[in-house]
Amino acid sequence: MESHDGRADEPDDDGMNSVVSSLDADLLLEDVRAVPASMDAFLAQVERRAFRMAELNLGHREDALDAVQDAMLRLVKHYSDKPPQEWTPLFWGILRRRIVDLQRRRKVRSIMVGWLGGRDDEGEDLPAWEPADTGPGPLERLTDSQSYADMAAAVKRLPQRQREAFMLRVLEGLDVAETAQAMGCSEGSVKTHLSRALQRLRDQLEDWR
Amino acid sequence: MNAPDNHLERRARALYREAAVQLDPAVAARLRAARRDALASTRESWAHRLLQLLLPAGAFAAIAFVALFMSSPVQRTTSSAPTAIQAVDAADGELPPDAAAADPTLYQNMDFYGWLAKNGDSEASR
Repeated sequence: MESHDGRADEPDDDGMNSVVSSLDADLLLEDVRAVPASMDAFLAQVERRAFRMAELNLGHREDALDAVQDAMLRLVKHYSDKPPQEWTPLFWGILRRRIVDLQRRRKVRSIMVGWLGGRDDEGEDLPAWEPADTGPGPLERLTDSQSYADMAAAVKRLPQRQREAFMLRVLEGLDVAETAQAMGCSEGSVKTHLSRALQRLRDQLEDWR
Repeated sequence: MNAPDNHLERRARALYREAAVQLDPAVAARLRAARRDALASTRESWAHRLLQLLLPAGAFAAIAFVALFMSSPVQRTTSSAPTAIQAVDAADGELPPDAAAADPTLYQNMDFYGWLAKNGDSEASR
């Protein structure tokens, strides 16, 4: 397991910072986030992406919905009085923690299932570690579904912290400070995790070049 | 150096956003419902908080009002009663003098008046 405070793996080369600063310049400036007018508007803006992020992490539609619903509820309940500029890192931080909680719970459940012989009371197979989504499959509706599936598979293979850094920083477009706040670690740690994640993804997605 | 590398990031983000836009309508509806529930919960919580705040304040105000109402008639009675009785006394002089309306020094010298009455009776009998 990787360290969560990230002090041990601070970046030690300038190349990492140049990658991050190029991200700032090329990716993040292209869509400057507007300050949401209301909590409703903010949640409406992020709910679908939040679901996709939870789905990528959890690999299960119902769990992803639960995670997003819980994150929305907690944000509204505890942070409505915060300035709207702070909602973004707060929301993604809450969602990240919820995802981690669900992953831990699922891990415990899979261990218990292993002890009990892999079958529940009704004799049916218990859910696997990452059960297949039996829903209609929204990915099929994507025009570039294969590319998204490839990316999702590559992202899922990343270690937890690298995956979080990649998703928050690159996919969601948070800046380094917001990503660090959402991940609960230092900015240097974010840069390190992101650099390693990008390196791995480039190796895995060579066809994209 | 970074331009070709950023292709991965740009494409990944574009795919991610496209996937979010083209979400299954059923899932999108459930997300909207979840958002509404979350926002409704905070409205309920505000109402609850307001009720919690108003309930003791209202109770205090009611108690204060009742206390004020109870105390003011007593003062009115004590201050206005002698005047009314004096008016009655003036109208009907045959009634015995009212104890409250009488001269207070009368009650301070009750022993003297008692001694005077006793001695007066005995001197008269002589």
